[in-house]
Parts: sequence; C-alpha cells; structure tokens
Amino acid sequence: MSEYLLDMRGIVKDFNGVKALDGIDLKVRPGEVVGLCGENGAGKSTLMKVLSAVYPYGTWQGQIFWEGKELKAHTIRQTEDAGIVIIHQELMLVPQLSVAENIFMGNEIRLPGGLMNYSAMYKRAEELMAELKMPDVNVALPVYHYGGGHQQLIEIAKALNKQAKLLILDEPTSSLTKAETEILLDIIRDLKRKGVACVMISHKLDEIAAVCDTISVIRDGAHVGTRPMSGMDTNEIITMMVGREIKNLFPREEHPIGEVFFEARNVTCLDVNNPRRKRVDNISFALRKGEILGVAGLVGAGRTELAMAIFGCYPGQYDAELWLDGKQISVDSPRSAVMQGICLVPEDRKRHGIVPLQGVGANITMAVLKDYARYGVINSEKELQQIEKSIARMRIKTASPDLPIRGLSGGNQQKAVLSKMLLPNPKVLILDEPTRGVDVGAKYEIYKLMFELVKQGLSIIMISSELPEVLGISDRVLVIGEGQLRGDFVNEGLTQEQVLTAALGQSSELAA
Amino acid sequence: MAIGTHNLKRFFSQYKILALLFAIAVIWLFFGQLTDGAFLTPRNFSNLLRQMAITGMLASGMVFIIISGEIDLSVGASLGLLGGVAAIMDYTYHFPVPVTILTVIVLGVGIGLFNGYWVAYLRVPSFIVSLAGFLAFRGLLLGLTKGTTVPLESPALVMIGQAYLPTMFGNLLGLGLFALMAVLTFRTRSGRAQHGLAVSPLWQDMVKLGVIGAVIVGFVYTLNQYEGIPVPVLVTLVILGIFSFLAKQTVFGRRIYSVGSNLEATRLSGVNVRMVKMLVFGLMGLMCAFAGLTTTARLAAGSPSAGTLGELDAIASCFIGGASSRGGVGTVYGALIGALIMASLDNGMSMIGVESFWQMIVKGAILLLAVWIDVISGAGSER
Repeated sequence: MSEYLLDMRGIVKDFNGVKALDGIDLKVRPGEVVGLCGENGAGKSTLMKVLSAVYPYGTWQGQIFWEGKELKAHTIRQTEDAGIVIIHQELMLVPQLSVAENIFMGNEIRLPGGLMNYSAMYKRAEELMAELKMPDVNVALPVYHYGGGHQQLIEIAKALNKQAKLLILDEPTSSLTKAETEILLDIIRDLKRKGVACVMISHKLDEIAAVCDTISVIRDGAHVGTRPMSGMDTNEIITMMVGREIKNLFPREEHPIGEVFFEARNVTCLDVNNPRRKRVDNISFALRKGEILGVAGLVGAGRTELAMAIFGCYPGQYDAELWLDGKQISVDSPRSAVMQGICLVPEDRKRHGIVPLQGVGANITMAVLKDYARYGVINSEKELQQIEKSIARMRIKTASPDLPIRGLSGGNQQKAVLSKMLLPNPKVLILDEPTRGVDVGAKYEIYKLMFELVKQGLSIIMISSELPEVLGISDRVLVIGEGQLRGDFVNEGLTQEQVLTAALGQSSELAA
Repeated sequence: MAIGTHNLKRFFSQYKILALLFAIAVIWLFFGQLTDGAFLTPRNFSNLLRQMAITGMLASGMVFIIISGEIDLSVGASLGLLGGVAAIMDYTYHFPVPVTILTVIVLGVGIGLFNGYWVAYLRVPSFIVSLAGFLAFRGLLLGLTKGTTVPLESPALVMIGQAYLPTMFGNLLGLGLFALMAVLTFRTRSGRAQHGLAVSPLWQDMVKLGVIGAVIVGFVYTLNQYEGIPVPVLVTLVILGIFSFLAKQTVFGRRIYSVGSNLEATRLSGVNVRMVKMLVFGLMGLMCAFAGLTTTARLAAGSPSAGTLGELDAIASCFIGGASSRGGVGTVYGALIGALIMASLDNGMSMIGVESFWQMIVKGAILLLAVWIDVISGAGSER
C-alpha cells in the first residue's frame, strides 16, 4: 500500500496541440493540506479538472492512483463516489432552494415513492452545520439569506455529506471577508484532524502559508517543485511561481494630488428585493484630482452598490447627487456616465466585463467604437491601429486581436477590460476589485498603470477586499460597513487593524 | 477515438459552410434521382429560388434577432398583414404603386419597432411579445380582409413578385458581383498584411474565389436558361450584400453581436443596448414588409393565410445556417443557405408527392436537429 491517498503521475493534457499540463505530479497524504500555487494560466484548474474527471479518463495522459489503485473515472459522479469533491470558485448553489436542499442536491434522502424526507435531511444538515461551527444557520431557509462566507461553508457541508476524503478548494476565499476567511481556515484545520485531505488553490499566499502542510508550485503547465511549508515564506513561493523575484508588490509612486474634483453626495441604494433595506445608506464623499481613493469594507457592505449608483447602473431604486469639476451632473445610465467622464471596471469580469465571443480587439474598442466610424461604418484600419496600441501598452498577451477574448487568461482579460474603459478618456475611473483572480505579474502591471494614470491627472476609486492592496496603493481610504460610511482615513501609517475595526463598527469583538 | 471526433467537430465548426453546401448537394441529388431529373431543371431552380426568396428575406432579418439573443414568432403574421394591406391599398383604394410600397415599408418598420419597444424598453420577453403579435397581426389581417382573398390590380406591383431580369442584365450582374468579391478579397489581404495579422495562403483565397466564380456562373447561366434572374431573388441577393456589410463593417452590426454575447458587459460599456435591440426588431419589420410585398405580388393577391408558419421556416433557416440558440453567433449568408435548404426540401417533397403533413414533420425534425448540432458542436460545451 502506498502512503499516499492521491498520487497523480506525469499528467499531460493538451488542447488542440497546446500543452496545458506537461507532466505534472501531485501527491497528497491522508489528512494533508496541499497548497497548489501558480500564476493564472499555469494549469492549476486544468489539473483539478483532470482529477475530478471534468476531463474524463482517456482525454489526458498519465496515471492517477487513488488509495493505491489506479483511478479511471469517466464522470464527476465516479470521482465523487470515490471521495474526491471539488468546490469551485464560483459557488454551485441554487439560491432559491433551502440550505438543506442544497446540501442534499443529487443525494436526497427519500421516502418511499420518491418523496423528500425533509425531517431526516434537516436533521443531518443541522449536524453538518454544527460540525462546521455554524449552529445558527436555519437549514430550512433559502440560501440567498446567507452571505458569501456562509455559502462557502454550505458548499463544504455538501462535500462532507458526500463523505469526501479529499476536498479540492478552488480560490475558496476570493469573495470572503477576513473574518469569514479565518473561520474557513479553522474548518480546514479541523477537517485535517479528522483525516480529510485538502488541495487548496489560492492566490492569497498568506492563507496558504497559514494552513498548508505542503506546497506544490506549477508554472506554465510544468511542475516547479513540492516542498514542506515549514521553512518557506511567501516570498519564496512567489519566486517559484513567477520564476523571477518580485521585490515590491506595491510599486507605490509619488504623484501630485490636486483639489477636490468629484463629489458624490447622499448616495442611497435600496435593496432590489426588499426596498425597506438600505444597501447604501446616505454616503457622501469627495475625490481629489490625481488621487487614488481606496474603498474598503466587508463583502456585502455596499461598496459595489455605491459604485453602481455612481455609474448609473444600480438595478434597484437609488438616489445619488454627483458633482464633477464644480458642476452637478446627472447620470442615469452607464452610457451617460461614460459620456461625462466616469468609467467603471466591474467586479465580475465574466458577467459584466467581457463579451466572451468577440475578439480581444472588439472588446477593447467597444465603448468608443463610434469614434472609429463615419455614418456608422467602421474604419477597420483606424480601429485596428488603436487596438494594437492598447494591446502594446497593456502588454496583453494574445496571438491575434481577432481571437475571442474568452480564450485569454484572467489577467489578460482584465487588462483588456481596463483598456476598454480607458479609451473614453475618463476623468474618474472606478475599479471594482481590479486584481481579483489576476496573477501576481499582471497585478503588478495593473498597479503600475494606476500610478501612471493618476500622474496624468485621472482620479481613481478602487474598491478592494484585499486590505494589503488597499493600504499599499491608496492615498486615502474610505471604509464602508453595512451600507454606511464608517471611516475616511488619509493613508499615512494606516494599519489593517484600524481599517478592519472601522469596517466592523459595532461588532468589533469579531476583529479580535 | 476521442481525438477523432474532436477533430471532426473542429472541422465542422470551422467549415460549417462546406458542410451546409454538402448537405444541399446531397438533397439536390437525392430529389434529382427521385424525380428523374425534373428537380434539377433550370425551370425548377428558378421556382425553387423564388420560393426561397421569401423565407430568405425573413431569415435575413431573423438572424439578427437570434444573434441578439431574442426570437420573433410574429413574422409570418406580420408578413400576411403587410401583404394584405398592400393588396387592399392597391385594389380597394387604387393608390399609386410607389405610395403602396412606401406605406407598407413604413408600416413594417413600425410594427417591428413596436415589437422591439415592448421587448427592449418594457422588458416583456420577446417570446411573449411576438406570440402576442402572432395572434394579433393575423387577427388584424382577417378583420381587414374579412377573410377573403384580395386580388391585385396594378401590374407594376405584380412584377415585384413575378418579373425576371433580362438575360444581358443578369450576365452583367454576375460579372460585377465577381469583380466585387475579388476586390474585397484582395483588400482584406493587403489590409491584414499591413497590420501583421495572419493572412490565409494565397492559393486558399484563389480557390475560394474560383468556387465563388463557378457558383455565380452556374447560377446566372442556369437562371438565364429559363427566364432570367427573378426579381425577388435579386432583392434577396442585394439584402444579403447589404446585411453582410451591416454585420461586419458597421457599429450597429458589431453591437448586435455583442448584445447577444453579453448584454450586461455591453451595457456597462456605455452602449445603449435597448436601442440596439429595438432597431434589430425594426430591421425585422422591414424584412417582413419586403417579404409581404413579394408574397402578395407573387400570388397577385393578398391572402388571409399568407405567411402562415413563415416564422418557423425563417427560424429554422437561421439555426441550420449556424446561428446559435444562445445568441452572439450567426451570419446572414448562413441563414440564406439555411433558407435554400428549407426551400429545397419543400420543393422536392412537393414534387415527389409527399403529403403536406409529412413535410411539416420533416421540417420540425430538421429544426430540432439543427439546434442540436449547434448545442453539441458549439462553444457551450465548455461552460
């Protein structure tokens, strides 16, 4: 018998001749937490899809040994039955169904005749919730009542219910707050003690460092190295990931800051489904010319809603009084926002950022296409020149501007979306989680670009859930909690603890 | 094996047009065989193409609706209504022909914009809006004509549906068309080369041009064997040219694809997506007007049942021609080739005496099959 629970050997997977994985090994012992690191496009997700039979046996080369025997799974069901459960970055819950119904989806406990045995499912669901230290969750309530953190744990409960021996977590904390992340990491440690092994994919290296026993790094589809976590630090991991040393994660540059240039007053947004609830509650703030204003807060605090209201795309009822360059402006749609010099790079790149089937070039010129047309007819020559300029400026890696953008890595997609929103020459640029799901190298380039832009006199509002990023980049930090403005700090000697305490407001005992 | 099917899929998605042309060839040979060659005579081709022209006009509009992620079930009924209005204006009220044509066109665009307004601005799903139109427009037509067929009076109006181009004119047209294609091909090549973009090998473009030339020669020659190019076919070809240009080279065309591929991202880029959607329906209305006029002219009468199930043919043509049921994908020429396939089946089955209920079953099955092929060969498998 092998000492390994999972032993993947020499995995090769190619897409139309391009090798996404080129001979990767991955070994996991029972009860071990392995951190899988690599830049975007390195092949982490592909490897996990091979393991969970999203790519069935036979569509890749190499061998997978599971509990000493070779695993030849053709369906996800087979890998799940073996005890391998993957939790995707985008949660796979049905918001309208109850917590218990979600946990038992596909594995419902039945009464004779195919009826749902709710009492048994509720009981088991409550046990699972207790196990995950969430006894307060009402398992009969629809999932949408609970926030991202809870939902992540509900996914884990679902996996545990399937008797998972190996959990694969793909970016599990990308939409969690600090406190929620802590809870999740605790649970992972707990599971480890119970003998459940875990492969964790994350861009947040401090989390990897906090919870993993071993770390495996892949780069460009190849295995770079596997080392015990003890004795490594995050800088070494980064070096392994990128193959070069990045000394300064936040390339802060001095830039002049001018007078107040943009103001939002009394922004209030009502919840779409429940208009008595205020998602944003009477927030006012000012932005100076050439300033980077960081907006921090827990997920769901109302930051994205605030940005949407300013950009004229909040789906529910809202009020916002906007002043730009001394004049009051009225913004009733993204179109009017863009025309008046306000641009937004949205948080959810897939849903709101890219037009997946169109070329990289068409995506880049989307907002300004009319400038390259006369009587509605596009001057392809002129358009292409601009596209080439943008691609070169942002160093977007694509074989051709005609290629559909969905084939690009997250970082390159983000750069394209950024280019798109820069072309209308905005005066105020709102970036909502600009580096989410973006690899270290591209992050660095995005920060560089931000400083370049503010030096040209642009003002930037950057919403971010990553406090080191907020503190590393911003000139000033707004803190939002439960829809209210909880703090407005000049970023001099500001600490993560101060921001977090402000964000948590009343419930500051959680911050401890 | 897995790799084999994969390559086959790739081949088909890349050269879908070849697969479609192949399908047409098979269908024609099949019916040619069964009818002892009667299907393959110039006379029947002329017939076939005239039959196809009406579906083709509808499909040219419909393909944009489908690309933008919507559907329009009302086009058969609005075709009937607009054709009926033309007949009534001509026969009952003796309007001059240009006035009749212009009014019908304006009315058609109006109907389209009305549908589009409901879809884009009042946010009623297009399925429902057009289902309502499907009923209401047909009802309106029945009310206007009192259920009777209205004959046409003006020969000029009849010509729209029944006249042919003189042989000489047809030849010139074919020549001009080929010259245009050649110029476009070389302009694209030099344009791409200038920007360092991949240029397909010269022989490939030459073969392509050769095939296009052969098709044009065959087309013009065959039709000239009979009476010449029928006017509705000419109109359809002109629409093909204009709409292909619209799709590729204009802001509006680009917007249609991007609205269909990701509406939200397009809206957040500052595009007036509602306007785009409404205009797409307006364009559909314009095509209904053309199709309605052609139908009425061809029958030399406005019939209360004109255009019944026309929407089905148009929608099927689009899907057969490679439009995606998820939006964002499709071409005008694809839709027209789809229309040609549908018309060939119609025509061929009628010739060999297949009963009409069988024809309906076959067409329904083909619609289902076409969308299924889109689903399995499409990008959707990765999502």
